[in-house]
Amino acid sequence: MIELRDITRVYNSGMQPVHALRGVTLKIHSGEFVAIMGASGSGKSTLMNLIGCLDRPTSGQYLLDDENVESLSEDALARVRNRKIGFVFQQFNLLPRMNALENVAIPLLYAGVPGDERKERAEQALRLVGLGDRLSHRPNQLSGGQQQRVAIARAIVNKPHILLADEPTGALDSQTAGEIMTLLEELHASGMSVVLVTHEAEIAAYARRVIRLKDGLVISDTASVPGRAPAG
Amino acid sequence: MDLGELVKVAWQGIVANRMRSSLTVLGIVIGIAAVIALLAIGQGARVETERQIKNLGSNLVFVMAGAAATGHVSLGHGSAATLTWEDAKAIRDVCPAVENVAPGVDGMQQVQYGSQNTQTNVMGTVPEYTTIRNFHPEHGRFFNQTELDHSARVCVIGRTVADNLFGDETSAIGKKVMIKGEMFEVIGVMERKGVTQFRDLDDQVFVPLTTAYSRLFGINTATGNRIQYVLIQARSEDEIYQAQFQITNLLRLRHKIRPPMTDDFIIRTQMDLLQSAESVTAIFAMLLGSTAGISLVVGGIGIMNIMLVSVTERTREIGIRKAMGARYSDIMWQFIIEATVLSLAGGIAGIALGIASSQLISQFLKWTTVVTPWSVVLAFVVAVVVGLFFGIYPARQAARLDPIVALRAE
Repeated sequence: MIELRDITRVYNSGMQPVHALRGVTLKIHSGEFVAIMGASGSGKSTLMNLIGCLDRPTSGQYLLDDENVESLSEDALARVRNRKIGFVFQQFNLLPRMNALENVAIPLLYAGVPGDERKERAEQALRLVGLGDRLSHRPNQLSGGQQQRVAIARAIVNKPHILLADEPTGALDSQTAGEIMTLLEELHASGMSVVLVTHEAEIAAYARRVIRLKDGLVISDTASVPGRAPAG
Repeated sequence: MDLGELVKVAWQGIVANRMRSSLTVLGIVIGIAAVIALLAIGQGARVETERQIKNLGSNLVFVMAGAAATGHVSLGHGSAATLTWEDAKAIRDVCPAVENVAPGVDGMQQVQYGSQNTQTNVMGTVPEYTTIRNFHPEHGRFFNQTELDHSARVCVIGRTVADNLFGDETSAIGKKVMIKGEMFEVIGVMERKGVTQFRDLDDQVFVPLTTAYSRLFGINTATGNRIQYVLIQARSEDEIYQAQFQITNLLRLRHKIRPPMTDDFIIRTQMDLLQSAESVTAIFAMLLGSTAGISLVVGGIGIMNIMLVSVTERTREIGIRKAMGARYSDIMWQFIIEATVLSLAGGIAGIALGIASSQLISQFLKWTTVVTPWSVVLAFVVAVVVGLFFGIYPARQAARLDPIVALRAE
């Protein structure tokens, strides 16, 4: 489903070019639960942004569902993000002025789903993450764990192929973190591919496969032989 | 994208920053209110002018004596004895489209009654004047043909003159006033006609034309029976232009004016006056409108400024929306709509304020103001256009943000 071929990403913003990724080649199959690990500066955030189609590689090929996406226009990438990818961020990134239901409905808005259906589907997604009774709460009326659940509901509401979670438990205490990871496991069990970026080994342990990055290169991958068979 | 949703989101943003939003739109509120109020004053002036010109009488044609010129120096209207009573009589007798004529001469004179005196316009004319101008005595009567024929020393005074000399209008009848050393008997007091932009119609004294000639202005057959103007009433509204044409030809013939020469008289119809008054009020309205336009531009810049601030503050929101699949145009529209909703809110407040101030103006300054529906529509459209225009630049800034950079923003 995700296939990266010799991806490099060079930032030219400073005095010297920064080589964030130096040639990453990997495949992630549909239905996998992968953790990408690495210290800060290892290139894991850059890799995450590339997989999430927020950024384009300097060189190399990125096939998402057999489609070359490395050369797509901004708007085409926006469409890919909208249809195929669900983001979960460390800081939740909910819009403070909107209630839970409105936050969850945002991707549907950009997918062109009509108003009534947006509401219905957002409500469904919130029930799925166990917040069916918090629809009209604003982010500041919710606990950290609840906010992250809203964010997860938002990530899955448009039925994406991949759930990309960037340090999803980084801002939570360990008990809440466990609950969030359990939720991600459940989503994975129901057939969703999950790609998790973390620097915590305990969190990475929830994943079936761990890819370690260092200095912009893959240094280890627990699935050198593709593990699980593609499912759905 | 869903316009209703965009407007709703924009409105939430505006309400969330209530104080800031209202200060931002103040420029628009004032600008739009100024447009509405100024157009209302302009339109009021127009309606008032039209009313005044119609008030002059109906189907009128004015002929004024032209300017005499010595060399290239014009001596001003009425300076030459080019127009005579005989011309006026000829117009009445010859031109078929003409119903009535009233020749006139006038000048400022001291009018005295006892210890009271007043400087006023004394006008020599004929009895037909009252019909042509639709201006009649309220007390007593106007002078008649016999009094005209015999140069009777009688006068009819306007309300202002009556108030100045007698304090009230009824006691004036039968009293004698002194004009230029001659005693005149007051035989009538005119009805109140009001002030037009031309003159105070109530501050006048009417005497027979013959009397004016001999007693006041020193005009006789030797000097020529000159008059300053002739008021002419056409038979009907449709015949105003025929009358104008016939009079012009007749006067050219009588004055022996041939093609290369210029007319020694000036002819204007009531329509001409209406049109020129309208062009004056149009210029007036344009000046007022451009003043209001400047405040709208200033208001628009205020909106642009606050939208730029808003884009900076909401960089992270833009990043989130982009990550969720918002395209360039989605973000662009979000901010343009927000600017437009802001401007429109200011516009609606401005329309309300403008209508309210127009009413206050007519109540306290006694000016006629007319708020026309099209000025409200115009204000509405202008508010939308200002929002759209001044929203474009901030919206582009927002839409061009790199999602990764935007997501990292605080």
